[in-house]
Amino acid sequence: MTTLSGPQLLGAARDRVEGPLKVAGRAPYPNDLSYPGMLHAVAVGSTIGAGRISGIDASAAESAPGVISVLTHLNAGPLRRAPVTPLGVSPPAPLQDDVIHHYGQHVAVVVAQTFEEATEAATLVHVSYTHEEAILDLDDPRAERRTNPWGRDAQRGDVAQGLAAADIVVDRTYLTRDNTNNPMGPLTTVARWEDGVLLINNSTQWATLEHTSVAAAFDLPLEAVNISAPYVGGGFGAGLRVWPHVVLTALASRTTGRPVKLVLTRPQMFTACGHRPKGKQRLLLGATSDGMLTAIDHEALTATAMDDDNFEPTATVSAAAYACPNASTRDQQARLNIPVPNSMRGPGAATGNYALECAVDELAVELGMDPLELRLRNDATTHPQLGLPWSSRAMRECLLHGAELFGWSRRTPEARSMRDGDMLVGYGLAAVGYPWFRARCAARATVRQDGTAYVCSAGTEIGNGAYTVFVQLSAELLGLDVERVTFGLGDSSMPAAPQTGGSGLTSSVGSAVHEACRRLVGDVLALVAEDPDSPLYGCSPEDVEVGEGGLRRRGDPTRWESYAGILGRGGLSELTATGESTPAKPQELGMAPAGAFGAKYVEVQVDPDLGRLRVARAVSVIDGGRILNEKMAESQIIGGTVGGIGMGLLEEAVSDAGTGRVANATLGDYIVPVNADVPDMQVAFVGVPDPANPIGTKGIGEIGLVGIAPAIANAVYHATGRRIRSLPITLDMLL
Amino acid sequence: MIVVQPFEYVRAGAVAEAIGEAGAVGSAAYLAGGTTQLDLMKDGVLRPSRLIDITRLPLGGIEHHEDRLVVGSLTTMEELAADSVVGRRLPFVREALLRSASVQLRNMATIGGNLLQRTRCRYFRDRTVATCNKRAPGSGCGAITGAHRTSAVLGTSPSCIATHASDLAVTLISLDATVHVIGAEGSRAVPLTGFYRVPGEDPSVENDLRPGELITAIEVPLLPPEARSHYLKVRDRASYEFALASAAVAVTMRGTRIEAARVALGGVATVPWRAVEAEAVLTGAEASVALFRTAAHAAVAGADPRPQNAFKVELAQRTLMRSLRSVTGVSS
Repeated sequence: MTTLSGPQLLGAARDRVEGPLKVAGRAPYPNDLSYPGMLHAVAVGSTIGAGRISGIDASAAESAPGVISVLTHLNAGPLRRAPVTPLGVSPPAPLQDDVIHHYGQHVAVVVAQTFEEATEAATLVHVSYTHEEAILDLDDPRAERRTNPWGRDAQRGDVAQGLAAADIVVDRTYLTRDNTNNPMGPLTTVARWEDGVLLINNSTQWATLEHTSVAAAFDLPLEAVNISAPYVGGGFGAGLRVWPHVVLTALASRTTGRPVKLVLTRPQMFTACGHRPKGKQRLLLGATSDGMLTAIDHEALTATAMDDDNFEPTATVSAAAYACPNASTRDQQARLNIPVPNSMRGPGAATGNYALECAVDELAVELGMDPLELRLRNDATTHPQLGLPWSSRAMRECLLHGAELFGWSRRTPEARSMRDGDMLVGYGLAAVGYPWFRARCAARATVRQDGTAYVCSAGTEIGNGAYTVFVQLSAELLGLDVERVTFGLGDSSMPAAPQTGGSGLTSSVGSAVHEACRRLVGDVLALVAEDPDSPLYGCSPEDVEVGEGGLRRRGDPTRWESYAGILGRGGLSELTATGESTPAKPQELGMAPAGAFGAKYVEVQVDPDLGRLRVARAVSVIDGGRILNEKMAESQIIGGTVGGIGMGLLEEAVSDAGTGRVANATLGDYIVPVNADVPDMQVAFVGVPDPANPIGTKGIGEIGLVGIAPAIANAVYHATGRRIRSLPITLDMLL
Repeated sequence: MIVVQPFEYVRAGAVAEAIGEAGAVGSAAYLAGGTTQLDLMKDGVLRPSRLIDITRLPLGGIEHHEDRLVVGSLTTMEELAADSVVGRRLPFVREALLRSASVQLRNMATIGGNLLQRTRCRYFRDRTVATCNKRAPGSGCGAITGAHRTSAVLGTSPSCIATHASDLAVTLISLDATVHVIGAEGSRAVPLTGFYRVPGEDPSVENDLRPGELITAIEVPLLPPEARSHYLKVRDRASYEFALASAAVAVTMRGTRIEAARVALGGVATVPWRAVEAEAVLTGAEASVALFRTAAHAAVAGADPRPQNAFKVELAQRTLMRSLRSVTGVSS
C-alpha cells in the first residue's frame, strides 16, 4: 500500500501551524520558563587562552547578596564525558581540572536567587592563572594536525596524470574566517530534579542525543532523564551538541536541590556553543582547452579545539561535484587554543563549495569560457565517486532554469564590462550539490475515536517549519484534514529521532512517519477486515487507500469507513502504531542517494571609488526532491541566502592575538545583514520526488546558504576584475 | 543583559535640582535617552552609584532664530531630523541623523546624549579586557595591538585609538556649533570645536565638561540659503552601522568658485574631526577634482594608521572627494 496521494512536487504553501502561538508570545521557549524556587546560574569564563588555573578565590562571590553556590573545578565533583556521538566525540565534561584550553572556557558557575545577583557575583570570582602561550594560527607549526579526520578523504583516478594532461591548470588558495551561529534565542537550559529524575528544558537540535549524553554524564539510567525542547529559538547548528553549560546547569540544580536556569549571554554565544571555523583551502583544477575537467585536487585545513573535535568535512564536497576522472580531496584540522567549532548551517559544504566554485569560475576565465557552459559540460550525470546513478539529480535544470530566471544571457563576459550608472555590475554563478544525509528514526502515530490524530517523533523544531510539514505529511498519510492532526516534537520520551541538522530531519522523520502511518492504517484495517458488517470486509492492505478521515477500497469510494466509526465499533478510544525507518545503503539501493542540488545566480553592484558592494539580486533554483510545503521551503532558501550574504560580505569573528578573545562578540560588532543589505530574492524548485526514501524529499535546510558566497565572489570579479580569495569581501579590499 | 549593580535613581524636577543631585555623590551620572548609558551599565563598564533622570527637565524643543537654531539637549534625534528648518537649511545634519542607529534608537536618543556618546571600541566595552586607558587609566590600549580595523587614524595617541562614533557631531563641528552647559558654578558656552579632547595621555577625559555639568542646549548656526551640503557615510553594511569613514561638507559657490567651505570627517578620528586644512585648500579656489584631491590629502594630514585600518586613510579621502563632487556638482 502506498499512501502518498501522488507524485506532486510542490506541497501546499500552508502557514506555520505554530505561528499563532509564536507571534502571540505563547510558545514556551526555554528562556521563558520558570519553576517555583528556581535559581539562576551564570557562567564565568577564562580570561586567558591557554594555561592553568593557579587559584580561585570565590569568597567574595559566595558572600554576595543572593548567592547560593559557586561551582568550580575544586568542588564540582566528577562528571563523565558523554560517549561518542554520530558526529564525533562529546564535549569534555566541565570543571574537571585546572587546564585552560581557550579564552571564555567555563571556569566557574555562580548560582543565585536572581539573574542580576548571579551576574554581579560572577564578576567577583577571582581566578588567577599560570599563562602558557596560546596556539591560535592555522599555520602555527606547533599545532597538532589531524589528517583525514572523518575518514571521508576521497580518491579516484590519478590526479598527477590528470593535471599533466590538462591544457589549463588553476592552482588557487582561498581563506575563510570564523563565523558564528548565534541564533536569536540565546541557548538556555533549565534543569530540575524531581524524585531522582533529571528534567531538562533546553535549546537543543537533538533531544535524543541530549537524553543519552546527559544520562551518561550523571551516570543515570535513561528513564531517569527527560529532555524537553518543543520550541527552540533558532539553531543554525549551535544546538547540535550537549554543551558543558547544559551539564553544569543540571549539576547546579543537583547541588542546590532547586530548579536552575542558565542563559548564555550574547558574548558567551560566541565561545560556548560552537562556530564555523576559519579555514585555508587549496584547489587545483585541470581542464582541456574545450573545458573538460581532467583533475580536481582539493585540500582543506580547518581549525579545531585542543580537547574536542568537530565535524567539518570541507574538501569532501569536491569529490562528487563534477564528472572528472581524476580527483583527490583531503581534509586536515589544526588543533588550536580556541573554543570548539561546531556545525554551522552547511558545515564544511558552505566553505568547501566556496573554494571549489570560485576555482571553477577562475578556470572558466582562463579558458575564456562561459562559467555556466563549463559547469554544464562537466555535469556529473552519475555519482562520480560511487559510479552509481543518482537517485535523482536536476542539476542541469537548476543551472538552465536559473540562467533564464536571472537573465544570464545579458552578461557580457569581460570583467568590468557592465555598468548601471556609476556602479560596476557583476553577474556571478555557483553550482551546489549538497551532501545527502538521512538517519534511522522512529515515529508514533495515533488515531482517536473523535477522528483526530496525534503523531510524534523526538526531532526538533528550530524555526525550520518541522511542525507544519509533519502535520501536512501525517494528514496526507492518514487521509485526514490537517486541522485534525497534531504533531509532537522535541521530547526525549518520544520515539528516537536524529538531529535537526545535516539537512536530514524531514527525510528521516518523514520516512518514520510514513512507516508509522502505514502500520497504523494496517492495524485499523485489521479491526474490520474480517467484520462482515464493514464495507472494508475482506480487504487486504493493498486494496485500501486513505481519505476523508478513514479508509476506502481502491476504485470503489462507496466502500469507505471512518476511523471514528471503526474505532467506535471496536470499543477503542484510540489506536497507536510505531514505525521506524532506516536508510538503505547505496549498493542496496542500486543508486547514490542524492542530497539537494542548486544553482545560485547573484548580481552585485560595486561603487568603483568607495568599494561599496551590494548584492542587487539573487536567484536560487533548487532541486529538493518533493517539496512538502512550498512556503516553508522558500523561506528556508531565502533565510539561507541572507546567511550566505552575511558569509560573503560581512561576517567575521575577529580574535585577539595572544588570547583568542573574540574581539567583536556582540551583535552590534559582529555584523550580519540587515534589511537594507538583503536584495530581491527569487526562489524556484525543480526536479522530481526522490525515490531513495518513501516520501520523496531531499534536505533543503542548508543548501540555501551554500553557493551564495562564491556566487558573490565570482560576481565581484566580473564587476571589478579583482579576484578576492578570502571571505568576507569587504570594501577595503576593493579600494 | 540586566543592570546588575545597585544604583540610586533620582528623577530631577528642575535643572538646579539635577545639578545639586549630581554634586551630592561622587559617581553620579545623568540619564537622558539612555541608549549608551544603560548599555554600558549593563556591561558593567559604567557603574554610577546614582542616576539622575533628566528627561522631565524643560530642555526639549528647538528654537528657531533667523541665523541659527537653539536645540534643547533633550530633543530627540528623530525630532531634530524632522525639523523643517533643518531639512531646508541644514540638510546634511538631517542626513547624518537619519543614517545613525535605527529609528527606534533615534526616538529615544537625545542630541545632548549623542554628543556625549561613548566609543564602540570593544576594548573599552568589554570589561573582561584588562587593557583600556579610557576605562582603566594607565592599563594600556588593547586595540593598538589587537583588532583595530575600525579604530581611528586621526587624533590618536599611543594611549588610545578609539573612534568617536557620532555622525551628528561631525556635521555640527563643521558648523561651529556651540554647546551650552550649566553646572554648580553657573552657565557657560563652549564652542564644539573646543569641546572634544583628543586622547593624549589620558583618554578617559573625552571633553571639556566639568564634573556635574549638564548640557542644556546646542546652538547651531544655519548655513546660508544658497549653501549646499552633504553627509556621506561609508560603512560595511547598508544600514544600522557605524561609519568606517564619513564626510560632512557644506559649500557656498559662486559659479565654479568655492566661496566658503566647511569640512569634517567622521569614523576615522578619536573626536569629530574638523578638517580646517581642507577648508583652507578649498576656500576661494576653483572647484575641480584636482583641488578636491589636494583638499582630501590635507584633511588626513598627520594620519597615524595601523596595519588593519590603513585603508581608512585612503577611504576617508575618497569619501571626502565624493562628497565634494556631490555638493559642488563638479566631477572633472
